[in-house]
Amino acid sequence: MKKRYVQAPEEAGGPSGLRFFRKTDAVDLLFVGYGLLIVVLVVASYLAGVFRLLPYDPEASDLGLLLAPPGTVGHLLGTDFMGRDIFARLILGIQAYFLPGLLAIAVAIVPGTALGVLAGYRPGRADTVITWFSNLVDSFPRLVLILLVVAAFKPDIYYIMVVVGLANVPATVSLVKVKIRFLREKNFIEAAEGLGLPRRTIVLKHILWHHCRASLIIRATLGMGEAILMETSMSYLGFGVQEPTPSWGNMVQSGANYFLQGNFWPSTVPALAILLAILGFHLLGDGLNNLLERKAIH
Amino acid sequence: MSLPPLLKIENLKTYFHSRGRQAFIRSVDGVSLEIRKGETLGVVGESGSGKSVMALSVMGLVGAAPGVIAGRIGLKTDGIQKNLLQDLDDYVERVEADGRVVEVRKDVVGWQKNVERLMARVRGKAVAMIFQNPKSSLNPYLSVGRQITEAIRLHTPCKGGAESRERALHWLERVRMDSPRLRYDNYPRGLSGGMCQRAMVAMALSCEPSFLIADEPTTGLDATIQSRIADLLAELKADLGITTMLISHDIGVIRRLSDSVAVMYGGMVVETGPAREVLAAGTESCHPYTAALLASVPDERHIRGKEPPQAIPGDVPDTIHVPNGCRFFGRCVRVTAAVEKECTSLLPPLSEITPGHAVRCWLYGGG
Amino acid sequence: MWPSTRTSSSRTRTSGSLSLKGVPRVARVLAREVAVTALLLLGVSVVVFAILYLAPGDPFSLLLEGQMSAGVPGQGVHEAMGAPKEWHARYLSWLAGMLRGNFGASIRTGLPVLEEISRVGLNTLLLTLGSMAVTLLVAVPIALYAAVRGVNRVSFPLTMAAYVMSALPVFWFGYVVIYLFLHTFGLFPLALGSPGTGQGPNRLYLLLPIVVLGLGNGTLGEVIRHLREEMGRVLSEDYVRTARAKGASVWKHAFKEGFLIPVTEIVASKIPFLLGGAVIVEQVFNWPGMGRMVWQAALDRDFPVIMGIAVLAAVFVRTGSLLQRFVYIAVNPGASRETAERRAA
Repeated sequence: MKKRYVQAPEEAGGPSGLRFFRKTDAVDLLFVGYGLLIVVLVVASYLAGVFRLLPYDPEASDLGLLLAPPGTVGHLLGTDFMGRDIFARLILGIQAYFLPGLLAIAVAIVPGTALGVLAGYRPGRADTVITWFSNLVDSFPRLVLILLVVAAFKPDIYYIMVVVGLANVPATVSLVKVKIRFLREKNFIEAAEGLGLPRRTIVLKHILWHHCRASLIIRATLGMGEAILMETSMSYLGFGVQEPTPSWGNMVQSGANYFLQGNFWPSTVPALAILLAILGFHLLGDGLNNLLERKAIH
Repeated sequence: MSLPPLLKIENLKTYFHSRGRQAFIRSVDGVSLEIRKGETLGVVGESGSGKSVMALSVMGLVGAAPGVIAGRIGLKTDGIQKNLLQDLDDYVERVEADGRVVEVRKDVVGWQKNVERLMARVRGKAVAMIFQNPKSSLNPYLSVGRQITEAIRLHTPCKGGAESRERALHWLERVRMDSPRLRYDNYPRGLSGGMCQRAMVAMALSCEPSFLIADEPTTGLDATIQSRIADLLAELKADLGITTMLISHDIGVIRRLSDSVAVMYGGMVVETGPAREVLAAGTESCHPYTAALLASVPDERHIRGKEPPQAIPGDVPDTIHVPNGCRFFGRCVRVTAAVEKECTSLLPPLSEITPGHAVRCWLYGGG
Repeated sequence: MWPSTRTSSSRTRTSGSLSLKGVPRVARVLAREVAVTALLLLGVSVVVFAILYLAPGDPFSLLLEGQMSAGVPGQGVHEAMGAPKEWHARYLSWLAGMLRGNFGASIRTGLPVLEEISRVGLNTLLLTLGSMAVTLLVAVPIALYAAVRGVNRVSFPLTMAAYVMSALPVFWFGYVVIYLFLHTFGLFPLALGSPGTGQGPNRLYLLLPIVVLGLGNGTLGEVIRHLREEMGRVLSEDYVRTARAKGASVWKHAFKEGFLIPVTEIVASKIPFLLGGAVIVEQVFNWPGMGRMVWQAALDRDFPVIMGIAVLAAVFVRTGSLLQRFVYIAVNPGASRETAERRAA
């Protein structure tokens, strides 16, 4: 099977849009596009949920219409085992992870960058200690740590997200450290210091804003993906958001019993929502990484 | 001229493709060369002239796409007589416009498989290659001795561990490695650049190949080590008389070791002939680029008189937007009104000025 | 579950190095690794202690008392005098008990925790190791193919399928698989006592949670990407080109740096995720293991059990990490230290 290589005829300016398209990987654009779509849907649905702009009533139990499949009149995505509309509950379920997810991201990134800068800027004692702490945090399976915290304190989704955030600090630290090391190798930092720039400026403006910004944004998107996964997993296990508050996780769980009897929709619809959402954040992160980061690396 | 050439490259074209710019990088754009048995051909030129890519094309090691798209490489040495680019046309289709390739359709995977098949008994055995950056060209996870004996076991009748070890040590001595027995067990990390290069030479020659390709063997080494390695190569050349293609941008090394020289520029050979003639400084029967190259090498006069070396004006040639006429035209200082028109519009062919000495320049007539 | 993009998020990081001359180098390095691991496990114990200590309702006292009641008689005057009061003394007492194997007694059953855990620990171990094998079985061929052939119409859909698989909630996937099993064999899957029992199709049922966790643990995409990148990088290294030029086997030369090290690296770093996934999968399949036990213990607030499992999980993770470091050291005795520092980020 022959691959085709073409020399495009010389163009003065050329259709710049098409040129960009050819230059970059179409696949990455696709990923980013899909990811952004998901982000928009999530944010829009979150706001709809908050302002109760729902298509149907999430709490009304239509006892005559239990476990209805999607497409049923009046219930676009079907009903659950109590006759409640799944579509509406799906939208409300976003509240279970949206703000908590942002918390997790904040907890991961803020201390993470601070420690990363500390460790990377002046390697030595600080670096060794911070590395040891990173390894320590990485020693725990996240779910087990969450269960420990949940049992010790309470099954609060915000507590859970703090743990998730902390568990991701090592990754952020590593990211920032690598960037700083890279900049050091390129003598960028030396040059900036030589120019007499105050350290704070170097760190905040040059290192973090210019060089780490893209990576951190990517980290944040992946972080939301993980937050969704963790929240839904914990809710599935019964420790996150509890009934009757809807969470995609506990919706899958409540539908699970009926799954094996042949009623797969009450379980599958929220599961697909989880899939599409997490996939969106992953692909967004991946696509952005390929578009932004790969170009930056020599 | 009586013996048939050991290696004969005919009209080799190796292109790469830039997706971002939707254009071909014409690294080797129609190169023809011949090397006779026992001869050392020095290939000299700037970075980007296509010398290394040409060598990799001979060995079938061009990785990027599309790679080799045209040509014939005849290898004739004991036991082997084959075209290393056999059946290339079965895998490649070229579309030309205005005498220039503008589209290539190539079965890259299929061709690579074919190359592996063609080169199976050639690599390391009939033809050996040594590279620049010897430290990174050796496997950091294996001891130097292990790597040499691997080659020995692959390509020579030596089978046993002890036998191949002895042979490896013999060759380490021959390349004048100090404390060979000690170095045998060292890892490349523990060796200097010069020592790694000696090891590479030992690894290549221990299988007694008919043909050696040395790609910038002294580049990247410390200045004093460079001359030592050149000494080594000269010594081995005298001892073994092995046919060699020596690639370098260092004219001193080329001058020292070559019997004949080919000068490359912008992916093409612009001059070829006996070393004595081509590298004779100050003669007029010489390609302008060669002349400029020779003039740019600082000599005693420059150093004593503290004169600045004569750099060649202009930039490295663009192998993407290749001009219509002579590729050196923009930097040539010997253009005359008589030939200017041809220089800008037509590519000059390689024409013989004296037997065995050919130049690609309109100043020496065409056709 | 948080796939990293350029840098792997969970490699054991090394920074700086202590060096003492005289002792043979390999022994020195190994000893250092073991010491670091021990120090980390100590840190693990501190973290667990801190969480329990700060928890409302003083679960820690219960834990200490449990340790004492479960302890071997005649442990010493110190224990006989009752639970110590200051936090550092309590921590040391608890730690000492743990090191003797005394993890306290389960609040729910009253039985010694370690005994309870070891009853089911094997099941989880089987599940985890089995799933890891499944993940590798799927990821390795795809990654190697993609490394050699690049993105083409075979590797791309497979990689995309892996991405989708990685985003799929494993708890739902488990039910799908059970349902399929149900329909293929007509047998309702039973909750089994321990692996090894059951005949015919039931034995096949043992494979189900392993396959589900192996495919659905959320790391498939990342594993493939990491292995493909590393092998791809190594294949374009100068020394592999030299191997090709001398007619040697490329695989043999690329193996250590392009396969062995990345695989052990990614496996060691994904153990925590597998253990977390095991908690969920054991739930779905009613698989009697540590995962289900810790879930039950969290419900019951059975602190000795949770704490014991948390510590053991960390031990498992660190052991995996240590083994990976041993492999790394064995493969390049001191060679390419720059590579070691480059990848230690």
